[in-house]
Formats: sequence, structure tokens, C-alpha cells
Amino acid sequence: MENVVSSGGAAPARTTGNAPQKKFSKAAIAVAAVLTAVGVGCWIYQLMIGLQMTGMTNVNSWGAYIVMFMFFVGLSAGGLIVASSAHVFNIEAFKKVALPAVILSTVCICLAGLFVLIDLGGFAKVWRLLTGPNLTSPLMWDVLVITCYLVINILDIVWIRKGDEAKVAKLSYVALPVAILVHSVTAWIFGLQIARTWYTAIMAPIFVASACDSGLALLLIVLMVLQAKGLFTTGTELFEKLAKLLAVFVAVDAYFIFCELLTMGYPGGSEATALAIMATGETAPFFWFEMIGGLLIPFLILAVAKNRSKRGLVAAASILIVLGVFCKRIWLLLTAFSTPYATAMPGFESDALAQAALSTTGVGAFYVPTGLELLVVVGVLALGCLAFMLLCNGLMGKGGKSN
Amino acid sequence: MRYGMLIDLERCIGCNACTVTCKQKNATPPQTFWSRVTTTEIGEYPDCRRFFLPTLCNHCENAACERVCPTGATYTREDGIVLVDKDKCIGCRMCMAACPYGARTFNFGDNTTYFPEFEEETPYGKSHEGAFVVGTVSKCIFCSDRVDEGNPLSACAQACPTKARVFGDLDDPDSEVSKGIREMAARPLMEEYGTKPCVYYVGYKGGE
Repeated sequence: MENVVSSGGAAPARTTGNAPQKKFSKAAIAVAAVLTAVGVGCWIYQLMIGLQMTGMTNVNSWGAYIVMFMFFVGLSAGGLIVASSAHVFNIEAFKKVALPAVILSTVCICLAGLFVLIDLGGFAKVWRLLTGPNLTSPLMWDVLVITCYLVINILDIVWIRKGDEAKVAKLSYVALPVAILVHSVTAWIFGLQIARTWYTAIMAPIFVASACDSGLALLLIVLMVLQAKGLFTTGTELFEKLAKLLAVFVAVDAYFIFCELLTMGYPGGSEATALAIMATGETAPFFWFEMIGGLLIPFLILAVAKNRSKRGLVAAASILIVLGVFCKRIWLLLTAFSTPYATAMPGFESDALAQAALSTTGVGAFYVPTGLELLVVVGVLALGCLAFMLLCNGLMGKGGKSN
Repeated sequence: MRYGMLIDLERCIGCNACTVTCKQKNATPPQTFWSRVTTTEIGEYPDCRRFFLPTLCNHCENAACERVCPTGATYTREDGIVLVDKDKCIGCRMCMAACPYGARTFNFGDNTTYFPEFEEETPYGKSHEGAFVVGTVSKCIFCSDRVDEGNPLSACAQACPTKARVFGDLDDPDSEVSKGIREMAARPLMEEYGTKPCVYYVGYKGGE
């Protein structure tokens, strides 16, 4: 059993003995480090001048940072769900990719946490979360669950590296529900707000479904990169199996989204206004990209068995799925801010008029991120790449050699 | 003891005295309006008129903002007034997503003063120093400072020339505000969200 688990590290030594490069190059690491430094610089500037640096307003009070937060919690949960399913459902083949999956999951959850911290207006007071936690706040639940989840990820890496199969198996029974919970709680931050279009019971299932498809798609992309770098080899059969699973995940995600859209549009009330904004308004490009590029096309590619054996096609489908889920985060978050949450009343015959009366700055000011805000986002992404490359070099590259 | 307000839309003439007096009393920075009046038109020419809707924080009994605040910065006092402790507020803006009334304003760090030409803070500004912290959320405090001083009369209610606003104790059946709500069958805005707002309105129909 030990061999199966540690094969993540051992495989490259066997299969790519003649490959010249078994690590991420110093140049790639240097580029990531520079971009990270730029991002940190912009973030320090933001700490100095406040969130006026961002494109956020009182109407659209969450922006790019929260989009990225949702996106990365999903990417992370997907990785760990695959890794822990290997033990919980005893899918022998999946155990092979456990190590890269968990490394990916760890990096992603750290990035998600970072994005929330960056989004805070009072970063210096973040310790208040520890001294005066309000346990009825979904944001507090998220802090607790993400911390717990991070600990599980780190333990998982340590035990997989040691080849402690029994402990990894036991941990998986905790890891799987926590991975599902971590993304459900993230969904509840939005889904429990009565006044917003996010207020729907299917929010958590949608988040879990999109975590599974985007997380697995990212894992497939990363596995292909690792193989190209000679750090890790995924067998063809396993790769096709994962691609097939991905097709199932995409279908489930599409089904949940369809249920939600139908429920929004059918009664024709204020939720239908939100649907109209998604289908034809400001968030329409993101909505339609996800519907067609993120769900339909990848599903059609991956549903055909022949295509799943072609790495190029699987790679294209995976990239589309990740981009699609990213677009979904955008329309999910921003549509709610563009939609009036007030209801029409005498004197204010439309929802938008009622909204204009109630809210401080009205309605319809669509959010556009600023350049500096995007640089912070790029910086965090670069930090993630940096951490992932260093972790892979350290945990998989050396492991391969020593074995 | 639960402070609340009754706003009679039949009486409101849209003069914005409440808006201005709130700014004067609380020294809210530019673009921050704890109390405001929106003007719209109803009907069609020739049968039409202007209609005014004054709004402020509803100090909900079942406050959505308080429940979602991760650090407990938003809290409800024993007298029902919902406040934000700016020392505890970490600026996550969860409350802004939760509030159905758009009552909250975030301090983005721009527009902090009405007097940018003065290098030093004005004496008036100094008297309210530290009241508005960059990176935190603020909202109407129901003039809790006056309540604490034994003067339970909100600045907006005091300044209203047509007595469209009545401030008082909702738990006391004999208070002016309770009587008014009862006699005129006043209702809060958007009751369907179930937050139990403490600001009541009469005359939705805009005096048709």
C-alpha cells in the first residue's frame, strides 16, 4: 500500500529518466516572484489610502477580491474532493494523483483566504475575529471551516509524503465532508442574505458542483503541466477516467444552474429582473460564456469517449471549464448588486425607483475594477503559482530523485 | 424600551431639513447620508404630483446586519438602537450585503472632508474627530448620544418643519409615536423581509 501512495513522488524517476528537466525553472519562479512583489506593493498602497483604490462603491460593495475568493475556494475544494474520494470510495486509481491534488488544494485555499483578508477595509483589526467571534455570522463560519480545512490539507500532505496510508485513509473521511462544507459555507455567505438574488437554497449545491468541475479541471491542467515538466506522470487510463468524471461534474453543475434559472424566471417577479440582467444586461457576457463555453462545449467534448483520450482536447475542455466557472463567480456576485433589492411600492412604481429611494447611492452603478486592484489580484495569483512551483519542486521533484 | 419612528408621508414636503440637520449634528462626511429624502413624481399630467420618501436606518428588531457581522461590531442596545462599534468593525461589508434597506455606507477613504482647502481640521470637524474611520461602515445612530444625555429626540425629528417625523418609545402604548402608529395604521417599509423594522410610515399612496 505504501508504494501506491508514494508513487506520486516515485513515478517521475522511473518514467522520465531521460528528461532533462525535473523542476520548475528558476526563470518561471523569478517571474512569479516579481509579479507577487508588484501585487504586494499595490496592496500596501491600498492599506494606506483605503478601498478607494478599488472600483467598489456603496452600491457594489464587493468586487474582484470576493470573486476571486469564491473562485479559489471552489478550485481548492474540487482538488481535495477528488483526493479524499480515493480513500472514502476506495477508488484505487485516484490515490495516485492524491499528492498533486492536495498540494493544489492547499495553495488554492491559502489564496482564497488571502483574498478575503485583502478585501477587508480594516485589515489591522483582523484579530477581532479571534477575540470577539459572532457565531451567527456566515463569514465567521467560513473562517472556522477554512482554518480546519487548511489543517486537514497540511496533515494530508505530510502523511501522504510519509506514506502513512492508514492515517491518510482515516483523514479522508473527515476531509471529504469538510471539503464539501467549506464551499457550502462560502455559498451561505451569499445564499442566506434575504434581500439579494443570491437568496436561494440551491446556492450551496451549485457552489459544490462548480467546485467539483472547476477543481477537477484545474487538477487535470496541472497534471498535464507536471507531466510536461517531468515531475509527475499520470497514466492514460487514469487520465481518461478523470476526464469522464469531469464530464459528469459539468452535467451536474449545468443541471443545478438550470433549476435555479427556471425558478428565477418562471414567476416573472423581481427575480426575473435579475435573470434579464444576466441574460441581456451588464453580466450577460459572463453568463453566456459560462453557459456555452464553460458548460455546453466542454460537456460535448468530454462526453465522447474518443475525445477523452486526446490530451489536447481534454486540456481545452478543462481550461474552458475553469474560465467558465470564473465567469460564473462574476455574474453570480455582480448581478445581485445590479438588481434592485427593494420592491416597488406606491409612489415608486418600479423596483429600480424604490431602490433609488432606499439606498444611499441608488442602483445600476456597475462595478469595474481599477488597474491597481487588478494588479493586486495578479500578485496573489503569482504568489499562488510561486508557492505551487516551490512545493512541487520540494515535495515531488526531490522525492522522485531520492526514490 | 424600544426606540422607533413614525414618518407621515402626507406631511413631508421634501425640504430635506432632516438630511441637512443630520449632517450638521453627526458630521457625516461627503457622500454619506444617514438620513435622506428621495423625490419622485407620481401620476401623469395633469393629474400628477411630487412624492417624497425620507429614509434612514430602520433599527430592525430582527436586524439582518447584526446577525451576519463576524466580529459583533454591529449590536443592538437594550433600548433597541442598532449601532456599529467602529473599533470592532473590520470592514468586511457583510452587513451591507445583508441590509435590505441600503442603510449602510462604507468609508472608502476618499471624500473625508467638506473642507479640502483647509490644511488643518476645522473646529467643527475636530469636535467629531474619530467618528468616521476609513475602512469601516457607518449608519444612522438614532441620535443615541442624545438619548444617553436624557434628550430622546432625534435631530431629524426636531428639525422637521411639518412634524412629519415622530421619535419615541414603541414599547410605551401611550407615547406619541405608538399612538400615531396605532391610529393611522402605519406600516414599515418592505415588511416581507421579516426584519421587524422600527421605522413606520403612513401615506404610502402619496396622497392620491
